[in-house]
Amino acid sequence: MKTDKSRRKFLRVLPLGIFAGMAGVLAAAAFRFLRPVAAAQREAVWLDVAPVSELKGEKPLLRTVLAERSAGWSVTLEEQQVFILPAQKHQALSSMCPHEGCNVVWRDETNNFFCPCHDSAFAPDGERVSGPARRGLDPLPSREKDGILQVQYQTFVNNIKERIPRA
Amino acid sequence: MTADDKQTKTARPDGWLERWTRLPGLARALFDEPAAGFGAWARTTAGAVCMLVAVQVITGVLLAFYYVPSAESAHATVAYMEKVVPAGAWMRALHHYGSQWLTLFLVLHLAQGFWRASYRRRPVGWLASVLLLALVMAGGATGYSLPWDARAFFSTRVAEGIAGGLPLVGDALHHWLLGGTEISTMTVSRFFAVHAFANPALIVLVIAARLFIFREPRTKEEGRASSWEGWQQEQFARQAIVAGAVFLALALYALKYHAPLGPAASDAEMGYLPRPGAQFLWLFQTLKYLPGPVASLFAAVVPGLILVGLALLPFLDARQWRRTSSYKPRKASAVLFSLALLLIVTMTAVAYIGDARDPNVRAQLERQSAEEAAFRAEPFEPQRPAAPAPSTPQANATPSPAASVPSPDSPPAAYIKQCANCHGSHGQGAKPFPKLLGVGSKPRRTVEDIIGLLNDPVAYGLEPPMKSFATKLTDQEKREIAEWVVILKKK
Repeated sequence: MKTDKSRRKFLRVLPLGIFAGMAGVLAAAAFRFLRPVAAAQREAVWLDVAPVSELKGEKPLLRTVLAERSAGWSVTLEEQQVFILPAQKHQALSSMCPHEGCNVVWRDETNNFFCPCHDSAFAPDGERVSGPARRGLDPLPSREKDGILQVQYQTFVNNIKERIPRA
Repeated sequence: MTADDKQTKTARPDGWLERWTRLPGLARALFDEPAAGFGAWARTTAGAVCMLVAVQVITGVLLAFYYVPSAESAHATVAYMEKVVPAGAWMRALHHYGSQWLTLFLVLHLAQGFWRASYRRRPVGWLASVLLLALVMAGGATGYSLPWDARAFFSTRVAEGIAGGLPLVGDALHHWLLGGTEISTMTVSRFFAVHAFANPALIVLVIAARLFIFREPRTKEEGRASSWEGWQQEQFARQAIVAGAVFLALALYALKYHAPLGPAASDAEMGYLPRPGAQFLWLFQTLKYLPGPVASLFAAVVPGLILVGLALLPFLDARQWRRTSSYKPRKASAVLFSLALLLIVTMTAVAYIGDARDPNVRAQLERQSAEEAAFRAEPFEPQRPAAPAPSTPQANATPSPAASVPSPDSPPAAYIKQCANCHGSHGQGAKPFPKLLGVGSKPRRTVEDIIGLLNDPVAYGLEPPMKSFATKLTDQEKREIAEWVVILKKK
């Protein structure tokens, strides 16, 4: 009787054990399979903005650069907006609001940058003035080469005080 | 004592599974009768089939996390899974070989059911298995096209040819299948939608109908059984053991053998020899013996006839439903079933042997697998935005023959004169003529090989319209062209 009982118990547990084993193998593989592959570190690329001679005046100028975005199996070219500050040695600022990532606009009438999404405002040099943003607009590295202004485009983690680049 | 006795005969009704799920009831409906020894183990094909269906669903859903059904991107996404994503090659191999194993186990399942004449007592289960086999074959055929390498492209072309050759419906079917008049990105998304949505939905429908909608005609014995008896529990454990063993075997097989993947369809050579998946080899081989329109009809009708014949079995035997004691399968159906099996087995064998014996075919197939191996060894190249159209070719700026260092921008004069018409001014190709970019990195394409190829293209597996240039070019010109072609890089 005793052996018969334990045999029955074994027969109940065995299939469940086998199913659990198969499910475990597949689940572990699925976890590895779905975890995003970290993009290889690439050296910074200098992107042409415009000839320096064309970037003049007191007001920030909105320009676009073509930045490569590498994601998984594809590399795409995407247009990104940057502000150039001709009055400040052609400093470049990302137009992406550090709050939730909307594109900020320049407003002549109030002489500041303004984010239309949540009303953050930034001074003409990019410093934070008011609104929910927790830091100023993100400066981008820029240089002049052969009379052409170039920038390195990058994005930073939103909605925090520190400026941490997105890997 | 008596209470204990009772418990050993029937499962405790207060078990967790019994209390909270319908599974024991379902399992009870699935097992047909007590058996022991070899007979009991032979009846475990259902467990393996269930497991393999589950594996197909799980791996299929996972692959869809990366796959993109378009002619431009499909191959890049599959190559990314194969080369970059962890466990990606294993996932693909599980799905690829799993579909072949599933076909095999469904055939085994039907064969053992046929042998026991279970279609008499279990007509619903039998019909469900036949439908499942048809749907699994359809899934295999559509899935073959999705990686969009040369293998996929040509298998699509064969499917297209077969569909288009059918009488009456051919043209319409062809048009619907391709989503136009040519194989294009529309074709890829159609095959994907059928493979990943329509076909699995039908499979789920068949399984649901089997489990939840239809009922088998009951025998007295089965009607009485109200709880899970000992033999059912034993049979369930046997099913689980076999399913587990088959899973382990498939998992190890998929670790060792990669699912095939060659260079993208756009890089395919002219002389590519397509070969279907193992489960279709017999049909492929049979079609070789038949002229065009007959072949189309055969390809559609014979598998159809086999499936319809199998599906009709329970009805042919309708009068014998109640006489469950009669175990001997009817002679006529036994003969037909055996003939069909014989055709399939023989033709599969003939296909393998034929390929192994024909030196030309073998050489080409070896070249193709060498090419696939070379492609597999290359690091993954992400898909890039299309380069801007090349500026006007400097065809007229002919370099002097003395120019010793060849550059991709300056093809030799003889190339411009003899080759550029088809292969493009800079080797970029012009559909349907293949590009020459990247040819140098392929097997058997050294400078000497290319010179030999220009002399005798057939010997290198190329097909017309590529013709011999043995007398049309001087040896010096051939060498110049070959030395220029090998430096062309893939774009």
